[in-house]
Amino acid sequence: MYTLLSGLYKYMFQKDEYCILILGLDNAGKTTFLEQSKTRFNKNYKGMSLSKITTTVGLNIGTVDVGKARLMFWDLGGQEELQSLWDKYYAECHGVIYVIDSTDEERLAESKQAFEKVVTSEALCGVPVLVLANKQDVETCLSIPDIKTAFSDCTSKIGRRDCLTQACSALTGKGVREGIEWMVKCVVRNVHRPPRQRDIT
Amino acid sequence: MRILILGLDGAGKTTILYRLQVGEVVTTIPTIGFNVETVTYKNLKFQVWDLGGQTSIRPYWRCYYSNTDAVIYVVDSCDRDRIGISKSELVAMLEEEELRKAILVVFANKQDMEQAMTSSEMANSLGLPALKDRKWQIFKTSATKGTGLDEAMEWLVETLKSRQ
Repeated sequence: MYTLLSGLYKYMFQKDEYCILILGLDNAGKTTFLEQSKTRFNKNYKGMSLSKITTTVGLNIGTVDVGKARLMFWDLGGQEELQSLWDKYYAECHGVIYVIDSTDEERLAESKQAFEKVVTSEALCGVPVLVLANKQDVETCLSIPDIKTAFSDCTSKIGRRDCLTQACSALTGKGVREGIEWMVKCVVRNVHRPPRQRDIT
Repeated sequence: MRILILGLDGAGKTTILYRLQVGEVVTTIPTIGFNVETVTYKNLKFQVWDLGGQTSIRPYWRCYYSNTDAVIYVVDSCDRDRIGISKSELVAMLEEEELRKAILVVFANKQDMEQAMTSSEMANSLGLPALKDRKWQIFKTSATKGTGLDEAMEWLVETLKSRQ
């Protein structure tokens, strides 16, 4: 009887936890995306005012529950010297969200280089990657086809994994829910990286 | 809001505390015991505890851990010889249950000196990438010149506000 009840309890309250890395150059909008996600998915979360967000030199964390999955976000600083810290998180992560500033054409090549390093990393083999073309609320921004063209020679390096490019505005929230729901679908079906299991506390 | 300022001796904790409170560089002597001041920043009142950093008194840090919202960990960015000790004190501190929810702000202090460590050097030397369940951030500061402190406090205020 105990087993039955505790099994039921677990079935209802246990969450599968997945760790998601948010990467991209500095000023791409990673922290804004994280805050927007937390606000959208957690009813009681008030959040930081998005205009007050400054450069991250460190780690921001956040959790979002989608159905039976719990996403644990790691948002890392994107400045060049801080990119050396990214790979310390690869082994434990289940998915990568790579954020691109669609208004910064000048640094697109730099962003592509950083992206290449991420997708060719051995420790991230088979991990789903969501590419967010952020700041789509700005009228003069690059479109998805523009960005895909700029990143076209990465395509062969992406390898066997789920990968989606999604238009997004972290500021207004457009595309945020779609992106996260896609990510959840991918990490759940990726049998190579099983979730961490945790009871709800 | 309760904030602790911790770090090894000679890192600049007391200088930072009084820089924040009165906005001036005061002459300090090694703290035996603690200094506590109320600092108001952007309408947010902080009770800031600056605890002495010498080896013999570090065991007493833990007496002050309860109800702490944020820890400012001050590191002398030029003291490469003792960065290992600084790391082990930090790691031991963060294992404490009472600090489980506290935000970690590292002040890479003495940035006015040549040869000061960069942010990524500091992060690696302190083993920060191993912290996966805690928000942390590094600020490059110089308590004597006053640089970086405003930025850090601004960040702290916004971060703590959103957690209330």
